[in-house]
Amino acid sequence: MLTNTGPVAKLYLSIIDDVIDSMKELFLDEGIEDRVLDDLRHLWESKVLQSKAIDDHRRNNINSSNFVLQLPAGYQQTEPDLAAPAVIPAAQNFNSFPVKKNSGPLATFSLPASLAYPVQIPAGVTLQTASGQLYKVNVPVVVSQAQAGQQPASHPPPRVTEWRDAPALQPAVVPPHPVPPRVPEPSALPASSITHPRPSLPLCQESSLPHIDLTLGDNEPTPPPEPVNVSTTASPCTQLLDLQIRAEEALAQTTKGRDIYDILKEVIEKETEKVERSRDVAAGNSSSRSEAALQDYNALSDIIQLDGPADNSDHEEDEEVPLQENDFLGLINAEVIKALQEENESSDSNSVASSSSSSGGIDELADVEEGDPLNSGDDVVEQDIPDLFDTDNVIVCQYDKIHRSKNRWKFHLKDGVICYGGRDYVFSKAVGEAEW
Amino acid sequence: MDSSNDEAVDIIITNVVATFRTRCHLNLRTIALEGINVIYKPEVGKVLMKLRKPRITASIWSSGKIICTGATSEDEAKLGARRLARCLQKLGFKVRFSAFKVVNVLAVCSMPFSIHLVDFTKNNRPIASYEPELHPAATYRIKNIKATVQVFSTGSLTITGPNVQNVATAVEQVYPLLFECRKPLCK
Repeated sequence: MLTNTGPVAKLYLSIIDDVIDSMKELFLDEGIEDRVLDDLRHLWESKVLQSKAIDDHRRNNINSSNFVLQLPAGYQQTEPDLAAPAVIPAAQNFNSFPVKKNSGPLATFSLPASLAYPVQIPAGVTLQTASGQLYKVNVPVVVSQAQAGQQPASHPPPRVTEWRDAPALQPAVVPPHPVPPRVPEPSALPASSITHPRPSLPLCQESSLPHIDLTLGDNEPTPPPEPVNVSTTASPCTQLLDLQIRAEEALAQTTKGRDIYDILKEVIEKETEKVERSRDVAAGNSSSRSEAALQDYNALSDIIQLDGPADNSDHEEDEEVPLQENDFLGLINAEVIKALQEENESSDSNSVASSSSSSGGIDELADVEEGDPLNSGDDVVEQDIPDLFDTDNVIVCQYDKIHRSKNRWKFHLKDGVICYGGRDYVFSKAVGEAEW
Repeated sequence: MDSSNDEAVDIIITNVVATFRTRCHLNLRTIALEGINVIYKPEVGKVLMKLRKPRITASIWSSGKIICTGATSEDEAKLGARRLARCLQKLGFKVRFSAFKVVNVLAVCSMPFSIHLVDFTKNNRPIASYEPELHPAATYRIKNIKATVQVFSTGSLTITGPNVQNVATAVEQVYPLLFECRKPLCK
């Protein structure tokens, strides 16, 4: 499903798998359709993704330039014919990457994760991102990280990339010219948009990329009969998203066996693009795409999720219990008051106590303004710092040993999940120290 | 406090223990779950609640009896106890602050001279007792004010008594006795 995910995401997904699988039989026995179970699974996974507790891993993975280059048959690194010297002359820090020879005609090798953009990629190369999307590069391109609001710096000569699978987040493929001001944004913008046979694509793309259209015409005969052709640009986020979404729609029919993940992405991105539009209008959208998407996930989660933390059903129960208890106590106290009244006056050596006890009347509300010196709120100052810091950082775990000396605490914990800064971390052993 | 002494000896109160009653049954589990800064000890049957402002620790029993320790003065103990009762009130219990009593005061004091414990014990035979194998200090119990003074050979004293006034009185009482048995060599 999600090929390159962090350990936490893997764990969560495996949990989801386990639960769903074990429930399958039960559901079938009950006579409930399979579809319901599938719906549950989708819902669950979408919620987990939305909560962005694990998302970052995936995003990070995607954004990291973990490419697997699949070279066409016969391509060798040393071959000078293709712009080999230009192949991956890329950036300053570039180092040669290990070549893994695959079986068959294709030679694959992976770019190091620390690859610094920009990278020039020669034509005829098929790129595969960490998440499994494939790009075929027909024309030499330069892969770079671009700002969201970046326009194509100049009207570039035609650069074309196309991809087969459903696009998700992709690195921006920018004409080799540009952009010295390469902001090292973690996000890479999907620079491509789908054009060709889809009539839906049209206007938006054409209006923004008129120059590209021309070149497209040139290139059309060249690409192999792929369902989709793509033009490259570094375009603002909204346009990208817009195009991308249409691309996804276009691809819906073409790709077979799309992942659920992709479906989710599609849905989410459709909604995010609307939000993106408004954001982009507001300011030069300098935030990375992933951040924008993150915000949108937040917005989404606000809108969609009504259970979990937002659930109100539990509170009611809790409120009832103490009320009952207090009522009961109140009854007792009312009767005891009179007896204690005299007792208070005599036993209290404190002058304050005696003075206030004499002034107090006998009420049903025993505690508040009673002969008791404890006045409600005003006299007795509340804790100055009742909640020093209300955090949402939580650890849910089991403990091996918890120890305290004076105000120094030591924790030996096991098998837990930490929610810190919105992200989840899982551990089997944890040791901690704290001062109170 | 120690006005009768020529030399002012500093009596430092290190601990004041006080108790009070809430006059209502307390559900320890509720306190443990909803209270802040609490330690639940179900095996003993009490909840410890620690306060930061007057730094005190309170042992709370389900009967409503509360023992408040760690304060450095009687007033602080009273204030802490009231704050604590306020906390419990906020948790939903019908708390009535009653029967506040300082039970124990612990103070330390240092004499400017060392003391010869054996002589001191000999001089004050029934009142003072000294068992070096058990404890390195000589114990001097003052019956009428119910104070106990532990005398160390270095000249350090620890005094425990029912209230601060008694503690001060005890120091004054014992000072001349110690002065007699001081070791003149080292201060």
